[in-house]
Amino acid sequence: MSYGILSFGAYVPSLRLARSAIANGMAWAVPSLKGLAKGERAVANWDEDSVTLAVEASRDCLRGITVEPAQIQLASTTLPFADRSNSGIVADALLCAEFTGTEDLGGSRRAATSALVRLGLCPGGRATLLIATDCRDAKPGSVQEMNYGHGAAALLVGEGKPIALIRGAASFHDDFVDQYRAADTDYDYTLEERWIREEGYNKIVPKAVSAALMHAGLSIDEISRVVLPANVGIGKGVAKVLNLAPERLVDPMLVNCGDCGVAQPLLILAHALESAVPGEKILVIGFGQGADAVVLEVTSEIAALQNNHGPGHSLAHKRVIDNYPMFLSLRNQLDVDFGMRAERDNRTSQPAFYRRRKDITGMVGARCTGCKTLQFPRSKVCVKCGEMDTQIDESLSGLVGRVKSYTEDWLAYTPLPPYIYGNVEFIDGANCMLEFTDFAPGQVQVGSTVKMMFRIKDFDAKRHFRRYFWKPAPVQASSREIASAASA
Amino acid sequence: MARGIRDKVAIIGMGCSKFGERWDCGPEELILEAFKEALADANISREEIEMAWLGLFFQEQSAGKSALPLSLSLRLPNIPVTRVENMCATGTEALRGAVYAVAAGACDIALAMGVEKLKDTGYAGLPERTKGTFDDLWLPNATAPGAFAQLASAYAAKHRLNMHDLKRAMAHISVKSHANGVLNPKAHLRKIITEEEALNAGVVAYPLGLMDCCGISDGAACAIVTSVEKAREMGLKDVVVVKAMQLAPSNGFEMSNTGWDGSYLHTTRVAAQRAYAEGGVKDPRREINLMEVHDCFSVTELVVMEDLGISPEGGAIKDVMDGVYDRDGAVPCQVDGGLKCFGHPIGATGLRMAYEIYLQLLGRAGQRQLGSPSLGLTHNLGGHPFRNVASVSLFGLHST
Repeated sequence: MSYGILSFGAYVPSLRLARSAIANGMAWAVPSLKGLAKGERAVANWDEDSVTLAVEASRDCLRGITVEPAQIQLASTTLPFADRSNSGIVADALLCAEFTGTEDLGGSRRAATSALVRLGLCPGGRATLLIATDCRDAKPGSVQEMNYGHGAAALLVGEGKPIALIRGAASFHDDFVDQYRAADTDYDYTLEERWIREEGYNKIVPKAVSAALMHAGLSIDEISRVVLPANVGIGKGVAKVLNLAPERLVDPMLVNCGDCGVAQPLLILAHALESAVPGEKILVIGFGQGADAVVLEVTSEIAALQNNHGPGHSLAHKRVIDNYPMFLSLRNQLDVDFGMRAERDNRTSQPAFYRRRKDITGMVGARCTGCKTLQFPRSKVCVKCGEMDTQIDESLSGLVGRVKSYTEDWLAYTPLPPYIYGNVEFIDGANCMLEFTDFAPGQVQVGSTVKMMFRIKDFDAKRHFRRYFWKPAPVQASSREIASAASA
Repeated sequence: MARGIRDKVAIIGMGCSKFGERWDCGPEELILEAFKEALADANISREEIEMAWLGLFFQEQSAGKSALPLSLSLRLPNIPVTRVENMCATGTEALRGAVYAVAAGACDIALAMGVEKLKDTGYAGLPERTKGTFDDLWLPNATAPGAFAQLASAYAAKHRLNMHDLKRAMAHISVKSHANGVLNPKAHLRKIITEEEALNAGVVAYPLGLMDCCGISDGAACAIVTSVEKAREMGLKDVVVVKAMQLAPSNGFEMSNTGWDGSYLHTTRVAAQRAYAEGGVKDPRREINLMEVHDCFSVTELVVMEDLGISPEGGAIKDVMDGVYDRDGAVPCQVDGGLKCFGHPIGATGLRMAYEIYLQLLGRAGQRQLGSPSLGLTHNLGGHPFRNVASVSLFGLHST
C-alpha cells in the first residue's frame, strides 16, 4: 500500500461543433475568426452541465476500482448551484456512502490543480475523488467561443496501488489578471495574448515548476512529458523558458475538444496517462492568477487502466454538428420560439424529491428478495409477484439496456427536437419508460443497446432550478462499455 | 356469486352535443346542449332525475372540480352529483356510476354526463400541467402521440413488419373513419381523406403522422338510465340495455416488467375477456355487430382489434385491409367517425361512443344506420399504453 493517484478518468460530450460553423456564422462581424476555424470543439448537450460532466468523468475514473472515495472534491468555475452542494449531487449520482465528504472548489482555473497540490503536499488516508469540470460559455463571435470546449476529468487519490506517485508539488500565487469573470456575469473578459504569454505564462509558470521540481528532487531533464493547459504558441514559449523540447508537451486537446477551463490540466493528464509508461515522470501545470505544478511518477500499475480509462473513448465517439444557431440555442444563447408547450411550469416538489432522492439521483430501484425481479421505480409491493416489503435497493444506473419501443416526438417540447423516448428492458425483469439522450434523429431502433447517463431532466426557468435523472444513450461500439456493464 | 350488470339497466335517453372547436361555448353550454336532447329523448322531467355522475378530466382547464359544474349548469335540485375521473375512460366511468346506482336500487333514474372543454388552451394537443411530483422527476414528458407511436414501433418489430405496410393499414383506418365522419353532422372533422394524404401527412411522433391522430375538440354527451323494471313501468317495451361494463387499470406490469413487449394493450385484453363473460359473448367476431373503440391514434385501433379478440394476433393488418372494420364490413368500427373525426373531449368520449351504439341499436342513426344491429361494444383506453385504464362495455336490445 502506498499513496498516490489510484485511477483516472475523463469525459468529453459527444456533441462537437465544427469551428468553421462559428466562423461562417460570425465572419460578417468578426472576419478574423476564419483563421481559428480548425477542428471542432466539444459542446455540452442541452441536458449536460458541469455536474453531469463531472459524474461521467467520475464513472470513468471509478470503473473497476475497488477503493471507494471517502471524499469528493469538485472543482469548477461553472457549477450550476451557488448554494446547494454540487458535489453532493455528484456523490448521490455515484451512489457514494452517506458519510462521504463533499466539497465544491472554484474561484480559479487552478481550482483542480491547487487541490492536487494540496493532496500531494498533505497525503492522508482518506481516498479523495478529485473532479475537474467546466462548461463555460462565451460571447457569440468571440475568440473564446472558438477555443473553449466542455469536458471533465477525475482522479482518485489515496492509499492503495497507485498508477502514479506524487513526487513533488507547489503552488505559486500571483494576481495576474489575464482573464476574469465577475461573479454576476456570464462571460469571461480576456486580455491580449501577447501580454498573457510574455508577462504571464513565461514568468509565472517557471516559478511553480522550479519549486515542484525542488520538492521532488528532480531536474527538468528527468521530466518526460509536460501537461500545460495552453495553446501551441504559449506552449512553445513556456518550453523555451523551461529549457524543454516542445515535443515533450502533451497535446493540449485544443483542436479536437477545446479549452475546458478548470478541467483542462486533468483532462490533458488523463490523455497522457492513456499512453504513459512505468517510471515516466509527468509534470502537470495549472495556470490562472499564479501557477500550480505537480510532478508525477507513473508506476507499473498503469497498464491495468490503460485502454479503459481516459478521454480517448469519448473523444472518438462524436456527433459533429455544423449548425451554429443550434449550438447557440443549446447553450441558451438564442431564444428560439419552441411554442407554448415550452411554457410548461416545472416547479419541483422538493419534499417529493427528497423522499425519493436516491431513486432519482442514483436511479435506485429495487430487487424483490422473493422472486428476484429487478424493478424501477421501487415500491413496497413487488410488480411481479405482488409480495409486500420484500424489496432491497439496487441501482440500475450501471446497466446496459435494450430498446423495446421508441418514438421520435415532434410535438413534445425539448430543446433539441425530436423528443426521443421509449421503453427499455434491463436484466432480471427490469423495464422502464425513459427519455433518451444523445441520439440523432433516425438513430434509435427497436433492439438498440443503450447505457444510462446522468443528465438534466428538466429546467425550471421561473425558479432557476434544474433537476437531474438518468437517460439511455447510445452504446458506442466499444468493448469497454459492454464489459463494464456486464461486471456491474 | 355476483351476476354482473347484464340486462339490469336500461338507457332511456341520450344526448350528444356537436363536437368541435366550440369557441362560442363554455362547458355549461355544452352540458345543456347534450342534456336537452337526452331529456326530450327520455320524455321525463328534470326533477325525475335523482342522482347524477359527472365525467370531467382536466378540471382546471375545463370546468372546475367537484359536482358543481354539472349541478350549477343544470340548476339541479340539490340531488347527489358525483364527479368521476379515470383518464380517457372518464365518460364511461360516469355511465358506470349511474348504471350501478339504478341497478343497486339506490335510485330509479340517474344521469351520466361527460364534458370537456379542451380548446381554451390556445395551442395544439392536450393541455400541459405543472410537472414536479415524483413521476415527473423521472418519466419522460411524453405526449399522447409519442406514447402511442411506440405501439407501432413495437408491433412492427414483433411481427417483423415493414413500417410502410403497417403505415398503410393505419392509413386505411383513418380513411375509413373520415368517410364515416362525413355522414355525421355532430362530428368535428367531416372531410374525406385519401390513403395518400394519410401516408404523406407530416410526422407528429414517429411513425405517427398528423392523419394518424385524432383531433382535439370540445363536447359533451350524456345518458339517462333506469332499471329494466322501471322502464317497463314507464311503458317502454324494446330498450337498449347494458350487457357488460368492465374496467381494467394497469398495475405496473406493462412498464416495470419485461413480460410486456409494448405491442399490445394488456388491460384491454383483460377488460374484454371480463366483458364477454359478463355479457355472455362466446364469439365476439360473430356476435358483435358494431364497435366504437378508442382510436385516439390509428395504430391504437389496429392493435385493439386483436386485443378485443376480433382479429387473431398478428392478423389485424389483413383484416383492416380486407375491410372487415369498414362500414360495410363484418364488424364495422367507428361508424360515427370515431375519435378520429369527433376529437377527444376526454370526459365526453365514452358517452359519445355509447350514444352511437344506442342510436344504431334503436335504428335511429339516419344516414349512418347499419341495418339492425343487436349488440354493440365501446372501448376506452385512458393514459398511455404502458400505464393505462381500459374499459370495455357491451350494449344490446332487450324486451321488457
